[in-house]
Amino acid sequence: MSIDKSTKYDRQLRLWESTGQQKLEDSSICLINATATGSELLKNLVLPGIGQFTIVSDLPVTPDSLSGNFFLDDEDIGKPLAMAMTEKLVELNTDVQGNAINDNLNNILKNESPEFWNQFSAVVVCDFISSDDLDKLQDITWNKKIPLFVLNTVAFYGSLKLIMPETTVVETHDPSRLFDLRIDNPWEELKHYADSIHLNDLDDTDHAHIPYIVIFLKALTAWKQDHNNLPPRTYPEKKSFRFDYVEALSRDIKSETNFIEASQSVHRALQSTRVPQPILNLFENSKIKDGNLNYHTPMFWIYVKALKNFVIKNDVLPLPGNIPDMASDTTNYIKIQSIYREKALKDMNEFTAEVFRILESVGRSEEGINKALIATFCKNTALLHVAEGSKDLCNNSLINKVLEEYRLLMISMDLQACL
Amino acid sequence: MTTVNDDATSSDWDGRYYHVDQVLNTPGPRTEDSFQAGDAVKDFLRNQCKILVIGAGGLGCEILANLALTGFKDIHVIDMDTIDISNLNRQFLFRPKDVGNPKALVAAEFIMQRVPGVKVTPYFGKIQDKDEDYYLQFNIIVCGLDSVEARRWINATLVNMVDEENPESLKPLIDGGTEGFKGQARVILPTISSCYECSLDMLNKPTAFPICTIANTPRLPEHCIEWASVLEWPRVHGEKKLDTDDPEHIGWLYNTALTRAKEFKIEGVTWSLTQGVVKNIIPAIASTNAIIAASCCNEAFKIATSSAAFLNNYFMLIGTEGVYSYTFEHEKRKECPVCGGESLDITISKEWTVERLIEMLVEKQDIQIKKPSLSSGIKQIYFQAPPQLEQATRPNLEKKVSELVEDGGEVTVTSSTLPFNLSLRIKYT
Ligand SMILES: [Zn+2]
Repeated sequence: MSIDKSTKYDRQLRLWESTGQQKLEDSSICLINATATGSELLKNLVLPGIGQFTIVSDLPVTPDSLSGNFFLDDEDIGKPLAMAMTEKLVELNTDVQGNAINDNLNNILKNESPEFWNQFSAVVVCDFISSDDLDKLQDITWNKKIPLFVLNTVAFYGSLKLIMPETTVVETHDPSRLFDLRIDNPWEELKHYADSIHLNDLDDTDHAHIPYIVIFLKALTAWKQDHNNLPPRTYPEKKSFRFDYVEALSRDIKSETNFIEASQSVHRALQSTRVPQPILNLFENSKIKDGNLNYHTPMFWIYVKALKNFVIKNDVLPLPGNIPDMASDTTNYIKIQSIYREKALKDMNEFTAEVFRILESVGRSEEGINKALIATFCKNTALLHVAEGSKDLCNNSLINKVLEEYRLLMISMDLQACL
Repeated sequence: MTTVNDDATSSDWDGRYYHVDQVLNTPGPRTEDSFQAGDAVKDFLRNQCKILVIGAGGLGCEILANLALTGFKDIHVIDMDTIDISNLNRQFLFRPKDVGNPKALVAAEFIMQRVPGVKVTPYFGKIQDKDEDYYLQFNIIVCGLDSVEARRWINATLVNMVDEENPESLKPLIDGGTEGFKGQARVILPTISSCYECSLDMLNKPTAFPICTIANTPRLPEHCIEWASVLEWPRVHGEKKLDTDDPEHIGWLYNTALTRAKEFKIEGVTWSLTQGVVKNIIPAIASTNAIIAASCCNEAFKIATSSAAFLNNYFMLIGTEGVYSYTFEHEKRKECPVCGGESLDITISKEWTVERLIEMLVEKQDIQIKKPSLSSGIKQIYFQAPPQLEQATRPNLEKKVSELVEDGGEVTVTSSTLPFNLSLRIKYT
């Protein structure tokens, strides 16, 4: 029976969309040691459709390996564990390829070259392995930038450690739904459009259908004229802006839904347009220092460099171009939407040209550059996320902090005992 | 190797509970005094304890597997749904060949086949079909539901069931829920700790589009889809009910919405969005379900065995950025209509009609009663059913509340879908 993927994966596509799904389908994960925790982990990746998985274990299935493991049954007893678990797991999703290696990590590290690990996009170690083997594995995966997960469970306790140099996220799917509207910093076309609307000339129906972006632009201009060109900053100022500048433009604040909405969404007018600190921090990353950029620099960092140059020139990030829904008639809303979109497109073209310029400077061709990825990057520049990892299995600074706290506690208890 | 047959005890081969027994054989640093390590606790868990799982969907499949593996052997499961293709990305007890069959039956069959010696008794139907006697037979109830209405019903039923004379009538309710990378698990001790109704205001408010936007000034693809389903479908199809599971119906909505979107130059109407809007689809993934279900089952196991302290009382998981979780004690609400007893004070304008008051009761975040009936003392204000009574009380809808209820007077609100009364104390501005 053939099943349409978009139907089968519908509930998860609504979360990570087709780009996330494609990445998952291109991935291959390696599980070292076939424990019950490991089988749960693989189940949760096989169901959504990871490309491949590989289980490494040289043990046979024994009666107690069935304890807590749903992906083995009594008929498997005596069979190789990796194979038995693989068979049960692939039943979950015919799109997934499962592989079993009936060997142990120690042998693989001894007999295979480090290139063996290139086939995996992530490696998971379940249960304890010798620290010698773990050190060796860690060196390999760290150098190859393959994420390594080390996990353990003991009764009601569990631990998970992720060891990887860096992970970069473009599509952060930010739930806070901030919109970059540039009310405090409108570009020419937006300003022109707002100026072209004369609230006093409109009949009551049209007046009650002017989108709040226009209301905000007018209110903020008026405020700035009255306040030395400064925006509202303190709480009383913001309150005054809301009542005396936004609501005051309304003919009847009890019935004009667009003005009611404007008053409720006044934070959008007060949002200041600036490059967020985490993004400014990215610009200081050594990877994009002149001289460090090279032929092998990952595309993410090429984009960050292009973004830095864009900001140097424009003082602002490329405009994402999306706007929230707001009370409005259709024509004005569509018009304003297209003003934002056109500006976003213009910014994106400038950004793309910058990307090409950098690629050329490091001797890379423009071929294989994905315009869709650039567009996605431009929409998300305010929310880019980079996590830098550590190679340490334990966080020594945290341990030292806990020990120090413990030492202080002991001293204070000693002191109390003296009293 | 031990032979396996249908007899519950002889299927317990050596090593079968190797891992679970590590916890049950000896007391640990955090076990309670009541913990009877060894045979006594194992006997209760494996031979006496009866547990009910409500829902055999994303959470339910996980819950059933976890309970079976930790050694619960008498498991019952209720679910009213049949299997759909879009379930297969997470409901791992189902295969493509099972599509169309009842979830409860297929899930029960699968668990019994994979974990010998476990008895799973399925019921394909609604929780409302069962009475108190049915719910009284269980020691613990675990919910993995996606419906707020069903949760409110079982919560109120279990709270009402508590009889102070009979400690056995208090059934711990463990409730799990997920949405994308987020989820929560909680333990409810009916009448003792905060109940589901107490926390109703924590739910996200569903997006509702004003009818005038849908009818006159659409701006978003969602507005066009709502127009197709709310206004055009009944206009064109009359009495025929919209079936959101029927691809032909979704197709009609999609095309209708698309035409309207083109007319207004609105972009973004897709099949998937159409389906999402009309079915109010919530994203669901295997891993979040696994975490939440595991948390629920750990609590069920701890309550059944006293092997460790159980959750007090609300665990929240936020996996949207890293792994963040927060556990806190949600407090009882004094004016909770289910477990509180005190009446809820509301202040309204003297001009408000009964209809306006009803609108507020439907919308208010901590009330959300779909079809409320209102009475004051012996006076009937408005009743949704039966039809004769509805007709008789309908004229009151247009009357002012202040004409019918004095300042500080009480109004009792009931709903046919929920087994509880909410009492309001009305004050006028
Ligand atoms: Zn309550």
